[in-house]
Amino acid sequence: MGLPRVFRTTPFRLTLLFLGLFAAAAAAFLAYIYIATAGEVTLRADARVSREMAALEAIHHSGGLAALNQAVIERSFGDRPMVYLLMKPDGGNISGSIGKSPVEKFDGEQTWTTFTLTNPGPDGGMVRQPARGLQERLPDGYMLFVGADVGELEFYVSKILRALWGAGALMILLGLAGGLMVSRDVSRNTAALTHVIDQARGGDLHVRARVRGSGDEYDELAIGLNDMLDRLERSVGGLRHAGDAIAHDLRSPLTRLRARLEAAMIDAEAGRTDAKAALHQALEDADGVLRTFSAVLAIARLEAAGAAPSQTVFDPAQLAASIGELYEPLCEDKGLDFEIQASPGLRLKGNREFIAQALANVLDNAIKYTPAGGAIMVRVRRRSSGDVEISVTDTGPGIPAEDRGRVLDRFVRLENSRNEPGAGLGLSLVAAVARAHGGHLDLDEGPGALDGGGPGLRVALVFPSVS
Amino acid sequence: MRLLIVEDDLEASRAMVTGLSEQSHSCVTAPDGLAGLEAARADQFDVMIVDRMMPRMDGVTMVETLRRDGDRTPVLFLSALGEISDRVAGLNAGGDDYLVKPYALAELLARVEALARRREMGSVQTMLKVGDLEMDLIAREVRRAGVEIDLQPREFQLLEFLMRHGGQSVTRTMLLEKVWEYHFDPQTNVIDVHISRLRSKIDKGFDRAMLQTVRGAGYRLEA
Repeated sequence: MGLPRVFRTTPFRLTLLFLGLFAAAAAAFLAYIYIATAGEVTLRADARVSREMAALEAIHHSGGLAALNQAVIERSFGDRPMVYLLMKPDGGNISGSIGKSPVEKFDGEQTWTTFTLTNPGPDGGMVRQPARGLQERLPDGYMLFVGADVGELEFYVSKILRALWGAGALMILLGLAGGLMVSRDVSRNTAALTHVIDQARGGDLHVRARVRGSGDEYDELAIGLNDMLDRLERSVGGLRHAGDAIAHDLRSPLTRLRARLEAAMIDAEAGRTDAKAALHQALEDADGVLRTFSAVLAIARLEAAGAAPSQTVFDPAQLAASIGELYEPLCEDKGLDFEIQASPGLRLKGNREFIAQALANVLDNAIKYTPAGGAIMVRVRRRSSGDVEISVTDTGPGIPAEDRGRVLDRFVRLENSRNEPGAGLGLSLVAAVARAHGGHLDLDEGPGALDGGGPGLRVALVFPSVS
Repeated sequence: MRLLIVEDDLEASRAMVTGLSEQSHSCVTAPDGLAGLEAARADQFDVMIVDRMMPRMDGVTMVETLRRDGDRTPVLFLSALGEISDRVAGLNAGGDDYLVKPYALAELLARVEALARRREMGSVQTMLKVGDLEMDLIAREVRRAGVEIDLQPREFQLLEFLMRHGGQSVTRTMLLEKVWEYHFDPQTNVIDVHISRLRSKIDKGFDRAMLQTVRGAGYRLEA
């Protein structure tokens, strides 16, 4: 709570955890060193004691008690770092360098013991040192004790301890410093991302996180966040645009509808006219409004979904044949030449219903704008890039190159088509279908002016190949 | 015909009753799925018109429950959801047809009558007969007054649908859905052209035209 933010970060907590683990490992290591070292020096002390005991026993064997006593006295006053005690069978002292055997429970034959020796230290004071001792009963009943300090054990251990403490303190300091640095770095990076998220949440969908190009996790996060924001902005923009477009394009027919109804009501009330015709017209207007609304909704849904739902793999030639069969009589009636050229065996992945509707829309337009005597061709082929293309070419007036991009915008209808029915949504819906399949819509000039006709128009739905 | 209308929008429900009563159908209404379920269990109906989204119990659940109980009354779903997946979900639940809101009254009427007719016919037929027009579904032959008429496969399917609904109005959307199996509204009069071709084949040289245009609705094959 009261801690500065940096101490509450995840990396800092992780640092503490690792320091804790390190401390436990260091303690275990120290314990191991202590046990191993202590075992080693004790073994060496035991060996020295055993050797000394054997030497004294040999003296006793060859020279008897007197010789042994002599040897013990000599050794006690020598400068050997060992202690000796020769005892009578009842435990009374005979000679030696200590007053009392440290063995408390003698088993009567041979007993090892660990005890503490107090020796004069190098600086004049007394040093207490751990020691090992052996007490044995000699063949004639006398008892002999030999002891030796285990020497430098304490010294070793304290040295190792000091080293470990030093290393540990350094490690903890470095670890804390590292943890703080990592925490600060993480905080700085996440703070930037959090800031972007906060701004987006506040409604600003233009913000983007900075990608540093290092390719690390923060970059991946930033790229993911930016991608998400892109999509969000697009779909919100699409919805907003759809809303604006609906408002814009429905307002005029709705106004017209309302005015017509109002006028009809006044006329009918005055008994001047039959309301039937006005109602009939109103119904037609309402249907037009609904059609526009459906198309805008379909586009918005496709754009918001990103990819078309319910995709299957099918043969585009078969689809073209089926839609062609639906439209051919209409062409014939209008005096248009109709032809389908389809490469067999191609495969297309997509929502068959949507693509059928898109193709139908394009054909609708082509038939609507191509004057009698013209021709319409549906073509299905594989482009050299591997993409699958379904195109409709007509010999109608075409669309001037500078307007081709614009007609894909919603509700744009070119001046010369104002008198034709339709909401102007046809090509934008087709383009939305193509985009929802990862493809695009190409607009191009047709076969060129023929017999005084227009240059024609080629509309191609291009879909990525099926892997 | 006795119809059950299950719709929570009372305004829409009233408009339907007005339109359907005009065609001398008798209508019972229910404002939600539970009430609809009760009404359906209490009485026999020729067709049920069921809205998909309703309070207390939605239309899909209601129809699923009825189908589990063994009720096979034809169901026409009404819905504001027009995506293919919504349509499929409705048909999977046991609906027989699916109409997306908003709809024209003529469309609703035609579909209700088509559903009722489908039930009447019941068993599999091999011969269809409307007036002096005969269709042999096995030999794939059509005769009018004994004279054989040569039809393209699609024309045959179109006529078959019209004959199965002889005397009834069928709409352009119904034809596009049932004969071509497309669920979009064409902007142009594609269906009309197919109908006039068929008409020229079956009515040419006869005094009386069987295939008639119904103003504001679609077409009707008269005996």
